[in-house]
Amino acid sequence: MSTNNFDVVVIGSGPGGYVAAIRAGQLGFKTAIIEKESLGGVCLNVGCIPSKAMISASHFLHRAQHDAPEMGFEIPGPIKVNMKKLLAWKESVVTKMSGGVGQLLKGNGVTIIKGEATFKTAKELTVKSSEGTQTVTAQKFILATGSRPIEIPGFPFDEKTIMSSTGALALDAIPKKLVVIGGGYIGLEISSYLAKLGTEVTVVEAQSSLLAGVVDAECAQVVARRLKKNGINVLLNAKAKGQKKTNSGFDVTIEVQGKEQVIACEKILVTVGRRPNSDQANLKGIGLAIDERGFVKTNPQRQTNLPHIYAIGDIVGQPMLAHKASHEGVMVAEILKGANRVFDVKVIPAVVFTDPEIASAGMTEEEAKAKGHKNLLVSKFPFGANGRAVSMMETDGFVKMIADADTHIVLGVHIVGPEASNLISEAALAIEMAARLEDIALTIHPHPTLGETMMEAAEATLGHAIHIIQKPLSKDKSNGAHP
Amino acid sequence: MAIEIKLPELGEGVTEGELVKWLVKVGDTVKVDQPIAEFMTDKATVEVPTPTAGVVKALKAKEGDVIKVEQTLIELEAGAGATAAAPAPAKTHEAKPSPAPVAAPVTAAAAAPAMASAEAYFPPVADSKVLATPATRRLAREMNVDINALKGTGLAGRVTREDVVQQQGGMTVVAPSKAPGMSIPRPSYQGPAGALEERVALRGIRKKIAENMQMAKAIIPHFTLMDEANVSGLVQLRDSLKSLAEKEGTKITYLPFVMKALIATIRQFPQFNSSIDDAAQEIVYKKYFNIGFAADTPNGLVVPVIKNADQKTILELSKEILDLSKRARDGKLKPEEMKGATITVTNIGSVGGTYATPIINHPEVAILGMYKIQDKVIVENGEFKVVKAMNYTITADHRLIDGAVAANFLKAFFHRIEQPGVLMADMM
Repeated sequence: MSTNNFDVVVIGSGPGGYVAAIRAGQLGFKTAIIEKESLGGVCLNVGCIPSKAMISASHFLHRAQHDAPEMGFEIPGPIKVNMKKLLAWKESVVTKMSGGVGQLLKGNGVTIIKGEATFKTAKELTVKSSEGTQTVTAQKFILATGSRPIEIPGFPFDEKTIMSSTGALALDAIPKKLVVIGGGYIGLEISSYLAKLGTEVTVVEAQSSLLAGVVDAECAQVVARRLKKNGINVLLNAKAKGQKKTNSGFDVTIEVQGKEQVIACEKILVTVGRRPNSDQANLKGIGLAIDERGFVKTNPQRQTNLPHIYAIGDIVGQPMLAHKASHEGVMVAEILKGANRVFDVKVIPAVVFTDPEIASAGMTEEEAKAKGHKNLLVSKFPFGANGRAVSMMETDGFVKMIADADTHIVLGVHIVGPEASNLISEAALAIEMAARLEDIALTIHPHPTLGETMMEAAEATLGHAIHIIQKPLSKDKSNGAHP
Repeated sequence: MAIEIKLPELGEGVTEGELVKWLVKVGDTVKVDQPIAEFMTDKATVEVPTPTAGVVKALKAKEGDVIKVEQTLIELEAGAGATAAAPAPAKTHEAKPSPAPVAAPVTAAAAAPAMASAEAYFPPVADSKVLATPATRRLAREMNVDINALKGTGLAGRVTREDVVQQQGGMTVVAPSKAPGMSIPRPSYQGPAGALEERVALRGIRKKIAENMQMAKAIIPHFTLMDEANVSGLVQLRDSLKSLAEKEGTKITYLPFVMKALIATIRQFPQFNSSIDDAAQEIVYKKYFNIGFAADTPNGLVVPVIKNADQKTILELSKEILDLSKRARDGKLKPEEMKGATITVTNIGSVGGTYATPIINHPEVAILGMYKIQDKVIVENGEFKVVKAMNYTITADHRLIDGAVAANFLKAFFHRIEQPGVLMADMM
């Protein structure tokens, strides 16, 4: 058994871990990263990236089937989907990205250790792999071991018939009927693309609305309408009580407002959330402080109660988002080098790749009021009034802007519509920079682009958008008025 | 139970010190008298020990902070995970520490469940209501400015980069001798994008030197007068005393002679041994002669002081200079050994250079510079002559000392240093 000593050891190579390791390497630390599966973690291998590949592909198919004829394309007969080929293409995307991570790590002098790490003591790891066991020690550890799908009683994952997101992304045939338990963003993303590929989908959601508490309610409504249009059956206030195996799959018992019903399906997808992997790697054994929800406790520098161990990403708390983990990864590496940093961002933008996409940065109206902003300016600008959106045949949705009425400082932006995910970065920058509505309104946005909707939404919030009728135009809302 | 360890007195009259470096971290087990932090007062760095054993629970200050005597430094958990029967150690540092019952290593079970490291960073996280760009928030953090405490001057109350930069000047700790109401501009430095540069905190002795120099230059209108002395006689005298010094177990240098000549000269020109009390608008003439001498150390410039140098013999001065210099290099000077100089000598000759323009050690009003001894050809009575020549400078505070006075001062000093016999006539 060999022993290796490093300045910094990162455990987990997801978007938090690999970014932390690269920056640590750049800063001159003797760095190692330990990964038990594939470089890139969940995000790159069984999460963000492959799901986006599948969503792009299914959207492409959907448009060919529905929008192409209206544009004048005549496609003889139905389009055949070769699921095995589609899966292979998706895998090629993943392989390319994962390989890129490996190259970046090596290029920055980071040692990659394959295997599963367990803390033997607070300063010593045992790493087990098929090639044997080794001991790894380090001055500092960065814990980035992420999260995993939550399993619910009565629906044990076999990843073939009762699946988490991981199993769903690996499907090599299109299921005829699918029951999706959990109408959160992961459930809806997978539901959307499988429905487009031809699956009959039923979404079972315990709350009274989809994406409850995750996104702006009006944005969720736009998506709910589209789901219905795309043939997805949504059951709200519904609970999955159990399942029974049948010849063709399962009978799932659902309780909707006290009444039970049975839905027959081929496969079941459970997407009720993710839980932090804090029960692994002997974290409790070395005395790492973990809260009641299973998140590793850290201070704003992401330092745990054991001063030489830092933790980043899903394992330290919500929101479980890759870009938050990456930001923390860079930050912690720099803290280890002696820089004074804390996690003090104003916004963590969130994107949901439903159809259409939802993206948000900053506060909702309720949150802004709770934060003490008594007077708000709230307005929306619809994609239907945007030339580019019309020319793309993607007119559902809007940009909603929320600002403080007294200062005109932008507090939140919520977008549902085409390319919402690509539009939100401007909003994130605006809020981080403490921009006022005028700052966005007076910035020339190129025509014809979807980005104009940001400028118009700011104008609309000030009361005088050009491309929608707003009246009356009150005096105190004239352009550039200083509050 | 938690025990607060406070900053003990660091020396007579020292009320505060700058925390230069922590020697322990949260979770460490410490023994009685184990040094826990390095402190800098005036110009000495001292290690502060803990009077009590235990496990460090929290560091109550950060490196770079100025801590007042009796202010809490760390919190110790005595008997953490060990034994509840451990005698409760006394709270203050005067009390005799109890024998350490807590030598047990910190086991997992004993690790504090609370966020032990909550105190490890400063300033606090920016409140979500603070209007400042990410770059400005980072700048504030790196300049140790609590952005939450700033009132933004920008549009709609934005905290601007300038607000942060200005605040930083105001928030730094005021050196004890700093003139009241003086504000030194603290412009930021931004290198070219992507340039290979390294940033290191300005701390400890370096920070003190920077503050003192900046203040001295800001307050005192300096001027420097330079001249060359014929020290052939002095060289001869010193050489003749070498063996005597060796018998006494010491080494004799030129500095004690220079000090003696300087003291005799400042008796004649008392304004060189004075200070200006700016607040009271008074000149303070000192009737004692404490001579500081600049010493180069690995940590930077320090100025040990020979107290009542007028009452010491050449040999006594020699011994004291050697002792102070050695301890200055080792960083072991006591704060009081670097205080109270009435005038300072800087011996640049031991390194090189013909002349320098030294900076006065405020609140003193003059500094004498001495340089290398070299063989030089001079013309005396129409003939060439090889002599031992030595350059001197007198740098003075022009508020108090006029140019002509300084010229006369240097002349009177040369009268003595060029003819060591005159020193005999000065003896008391």
